[in-house]
Amino acid sequence: MTSGQSELLKGLPPPEADRVLSLGKRLTLTSGAELFHMGAPADSLYLVSRGRIKLTLPMQIRGNQQDVFVEERTPGETVGWSALIPPHQFTLTATAPLQTEVIAFSRETLLAHCAAFPAIGYAISLNLAAVVGQRLQLFQAMWLREMERMVELRCA
Amino acid sequence: MEMLLMGACLSLFGLAVTCLAFGAATRTEEPSAVEAKPAVAKAAAASPARFFVSPAIIPMAEHAQVPIEALLLQIESHVRLEQAAAESFLQTPTPALLHCKTISPLVN
Repeated sequence: MTSGQSELLKGLPPPEADRVLSLGKRLTLTSGAELFHMGAPADSLYLVSRGRIKLTLPMQIRGNQQDVFVEERTPGETVGWSALIPPHQFTLTATAPLQTEVIAFSRETLLAHCAAFPAIGYAISLNLAAVVGQRLQLFQAMWLREMERMVELRCA
Repeated sequence: MEMLLMGACLSLFGLAVTCLAFGAATRTEEPSAVEAKPAVAKAAAASPARFFVSPAIIPMAEHAQVPIEALLLQIESHVRLEQAAAESFLQTPTPALLHCKTISPLVN
């Protein structure tokens, strides 16, 4: 994955994007490894550089709690934006279904860089808003479809 | 002679009563047969004819017997299909795309 392919660094000139990438720390996750757990403090934001990250939520099925698939992040996509948004707690659990590489950006390092270079901070904020907004719209549409099915079942 | 005629009349009377009883009995069965036909037609209409065998659709009542791993896979497949449908809607926001039916076996 190059800096230009990252949804978080979109629009940044390549040298600036590379500088941001150099702030991160590369982590390799083995298949089945957990990146973060729901409810844990969110101190880092992650960029998937290789492999996949599966996001799950616990659901009650037949009286037992099961981790249910919510969405999947692929190379270039961002995971764990709770690190930048209060109350800085993860609201999903992230695992690697196969060997995966992510770039971890600590909140302090990233915010310090954004404060030092406001233009970069502004571009990153816009990109992050686009990521969050797009996911919100996606889940709004999914929620409406589920509601529609529920109403259909009720009226049947 | 009179006794013979009396016997013959009684036999005919008995036969007539038997015929009436038989007729009445067969007449009461006819309406129920007529009623059964629409029921069969309704059942046929409820399950549309399929040329090809449809994908394995598990009725909701049978979900209780599905192993939990299979159920989790069905949920994952359902979520992926729903996300794809929602993404299509976000690319071209039209009511038709928002309300398009899913093929997910979980809800069919």
